[in-house]
This record gives sequence, structure tokens and C-alpha cells, in this order.
Amino acid sequence: MKVGPFTSLVLVKKRDLIYHVFLIWISIIPVALEYWVYWQLLWDYERPLHFYIFLPLLGFVMYLTAVFTALMFAKILLIIVNFIHKPKEGVFLRDPSDIDYRYWGLRNVIKQWPFWLTHRFPFPFLDNLAFKLFGVKTKFSNSLFEGWIDTEFMEFGRNVVIGQGSIIQSTAIVGNLLIIRKTTFDDNVRIGAHCLVMPGSHIGNNCILNSWSATVVGQELEDGWIYLGGPAQKFKKNIFFEDDIEDKIKLRVDNLEELSQTYDSQYDKWTRKKI
Amino acid sequence: MTENSETENLQGKNDNSNGIDADYIIDFTTSSAISRVNIKFLAIYIPILWLSGLAICVYLYEYFIRLNFIKLERWISTILFLPIALLCMYFIFIFAVLFFSKLFLILINLIHRPREGIFKAQIGDPDFEFWALRIEVKKLVVWLMRNCPFPWMDFIAFKWFGVAIDSSSHLQDSWTDMEFIKFGHRVMIGQAAVVMTSMVVGNYLIIKKIIFNDYALVGGVSAIAPGTVFGADTVLGAASITMPNQVLEPRWVYAGIPARKFRPNTVERRDIIAKVDVDEGTKFDSEHEINIDKDKQDLLKTKKSNKGE
Repeated sequence: MKVGPFTSLVLVKKRDLIYHVFLIWISIIPVALEYWVYWQLLWDYERPLHFYIFLPLLGFVMYLTAVFTALMFAKILLIIVNFIHKPKEGVFLRDPSDIDYRYWGLRNVIKQWPFWLTHRFPFPFLDNLAFKLFGVKTKFSNSLFEGWIDTEFMEFGRNVVIGQGSIIQSTAIVGNLLIIRKTTFDDNVRIGAHCLVMPGSHIGNNCILNSWSATVVGQELEDGWIYLGGPAQKFKKNIFFEDDIEDKIKLRVDNLEELSQTYDSQYDKWTRKKI
Repeated sequence: MTENSETENLQGKNDNSNGIDADYIIDFTTSSAISRVNIKFLAIYIPILWLSGLAICVYLYEYFIRLNFIKLERWISTILFLPIALLCMYFIFIFAVLFFSKLFLILINLIHRPREGIFKAQIGDPDFEFWALRIEVKKLVVWLMRNCPFPWMDFIAFKWFGVAIDSSSHLQDSWTDMEFIKFGHRVMIGQAAVVMTSMVVGNYLIIKKIIFNDYALVGGVSAIAPGTVFGADTVLGAASITMPNQVLEPRWVYAGIPARKFRPNTVERRDIIAKVDVDEGTKFDSEHEINIDKDKQDLLKTKKSNKGE
């Protein structure tokens, strides 16, 4: 399945094609150059063995070169763009006349090609590198590959895992407003599959978010709890960081009806109140 | 303040009703995404890619030598057969990666045998480290196969890695783990469904086998926890979650978070479909014709009665 932190919600403009063409062009040039040098060094019509043996490795190096060049030039462009208009948090008007909205779209356009390229390789270390380079505070060991993750105003602690198909946002469009708020993850956080984390959320240490949960804008999740529901509610204490409890952990759910009621109340709590 | 008291009540209830052990029950689902990304995995990736690339290079070499593209008068045939040669090279690459990753996997499994159970999710625990390694090796193959425009490529990889599956099952659009899983006939797993045979909770890694019996159907964007057993003809609705070790009985439609019985899955059920008026909140039945030809309807019945026996 093709998933990944492609930058979402971009403001589509025809003139943005210039950035894409520039970045794609500039990142292919060193690749072509590399191939030419390789050809000059190793091609021998009489004895072509050397050329062919190292060709697959060259393919890998060429891919890495393309990635690093794209990242480098995107970073340079981004520095220039950010120098002209500094990215900031807040609520903005979703209208081309709003300068923050315009520059937010522009930043995403610039990041799109490098992120697409890094995400082509099934091994997530290039992804994490791209995150780091574009100013997201994260660790190399974090597993952020399987979800859709925004690429600015994010902060990850140690040992963070984002589940399959989760959507982690620091920007959201609601009506004709654009909300940009910093989303922070502390250490040892585990987000389940298909979760939705809205801008401004703060996920505390040792938190677990159940599959199919959501947080609201600016929600604070306290340290050491298991949360579930939409919006996420406290479910129980996360005691699974204790040592030597392998024998105590129970996989069997004894009373499914009671559990269903608990879940229902967690999911309905807020909506019921409103009605 | 009211919320705080509510959560306290909730906690209190948990403690009172089931004793202290209630805290240790895993009645929630997280994800089977690999827990720690490690640059060490590249040590496996580069040999696999290199060896598979060599297989292509042999083909490329033969192609250019046989067609002798240096001579100018042969350029037409070189260009004419290039697309088919590229396609061949693509498939040679995919199957070479499949072959070499299986080789590496056999070696890895010889060093440490995969097994079910509850393990420590820490660097240093062999079960955890080899689990991550296995996932990463298999990911390379699945990535190649899923980027391929042919939808039937996937199950070849599953079969090749030792999963009991045949071509009648469909799982191309889902995140499905490739170990400790068993498929019957005609199992269908919906788009973006997450089938997890492993799950990391806190400091612990849980690996448990999932079994799909014949005609099981999983709706889109569902999450299947480790240890789930699907009976024959079971349907799980979209956007549902199963609990660890949950057994879904045969011929039932399950839905909800957590999955619970919704209604029996019978042939008659398809006659009348209940519709809910969203605005009024009322429910009314509407008749639907089954589009099965008259001469084939008895076929349906015999099949059903056969299955009942």
C-alpha cells in the first residue's frame, strides 16, 4: 500500500510547477553526472564484467544522490522562503489574500518532491532524515513510516511509533480557516492504527492511543494513560512499562458486553452531552 | 473538574469489578508498525538489492550483446524490443528480490525461530530484534509487489514466505502482516484494513496467530488484533476493531468498536435491507430483488444446504 507523509492539503497553483520542475531537474543532474563518471571509469568493451557487477550498487547510490540533492536544494529554497516570510502558528484565513496561507502552501509544494522521493524506499531511515533536515525534532529510531504526518510544527520524543494509516496533523483546514498549531509527542508514545491527531495536541510520556481514536485541537493527553474514543478519553492506566509482568498480561477479554458498554460510553460521551 | 471525577469513577469501577488483574488485560489495539528503526537493517537490504540487480545485469548484458546495438543498422530491433526487455527486467528483479530475501529469511529463522508469545520489546531481546528484522526483510518484497500494476502479485509473496493462502483470497489493499496468519478460501480483506499478528504494548511485544476461515470478509479500515479467529462466512463491518484473542462465530455479521454481533449472516438477510432515515432517526425496511437468475437460484440453495451439513 502506498502511504506516506506526503504533505497534504496543498494550495494548488499552476505556477508552483516551476518549483517542482526546478527541484526534479536539479536532483537528476548529479545522478546523470555520476553515471557518466562511472561509465568513463569502468566501461570496457572487451571486458564488461566490472561495469555490470557494480551497476546495481550504482543504482542505489544514484538514488541516494537524487534524494540528498533534492533535500539540499529544497532546504535552500525553504530557507529563502522562510526568510521572506517566517512561518508561524495561529489561525489564518483560508484565502489566497492571506499571506500565511499562501506561504504555507508554498512550503508544502517545495517539500513535496523530496518527501515523495525519500518515501519511495521501503526502509524508513531516509524519511527520518528528511524530517530532521526540514526542522522536525525527531529521533532516527522513531517509526513514522506508516502514517500520514505533517512536516512542520511537529516534535517527537524518543521511541515514538505511529500506527498504520494514522493521520498526524499540525495544520488543518476547517471551513475557511487554516489552523496551524504545534503538535508534540513525548517519549514512548504509541499511536494505534487509523488514529487522527489534530493540531496542537500534546501526547504525554508513555501514552497509548487506541486504534480508531481521535484528539481534538489542542488536546492534552496526560502521562502514562491509555486513551481511546473520539475525542480521546482516559481508558485505564498504562502499566505495561513495568518489568516482569509477562505472566500477568491477559489477552483474553472475559466480558465483552461490559467492555462494549465502556467503549460506547467513551465514544459517545461528548456527543451525548451536546445533544 | 467533572471530567476528573468521571475518570476516577471509571478507574474505580475497573478495580472493583474485576480485581487488580483488570489492569493487565489487553482490551485495546495499537499497531503492528515496527517499533524501532535501525540503520543495521541496511546490511540486509544492500546485499539483497545488489544480488537481484546482478540478475538484471546479466539480462541487460545478454540483450545488448545479442542485439549488438553498437552496429548502427541494428538499432531498430534494439529499440523495438526495449519495452518488453524492460518489463522482463522488472519481473526478473522482483522475483530475484523474492528469492534472495527468502534465502536471508531462512538464515534468520535458522538463527532464531519465530514463535508466538509475549516478549520484552527492548533492544537485546532476541525475539523482538528478529521480529523487527523479519518485518523489514519482508517489507522490501511487498513494497516491490504493491508498486507493480498486477494485483495478483501479492499472494505469490505471501505464499513464498510460508503463509497458507491461495489465489482466491484478496488482500492487496490492506496492511497485512506476513507471518502467523492462515487464510481459508475466498477470504476478502477490505481497503486499508490493518491485520496485525503482532502488537507492541508498553514494554511488551505480543505475537499471536490470526486465522481466517473460508469466506471471511473484513470491511474497509478495520483493525484486526492478534489472535482473532474468523469463523466461516463471518463478516466484519467497516471501521471495526476486534479485541486480542476474540473469536468471531461463523455466519454472523460483526460490527463496532469492539466488534460485537450485529445480525446473523444468512442468505435471507439479503432480501430485506433495513434503511435508516438519518434526519428522522426512524428505521424502515425496503424490499430488494436478488439479481440471481431463476435457473441458478436452486444452485444457491443446494450450496447452502451442503454447507449446513
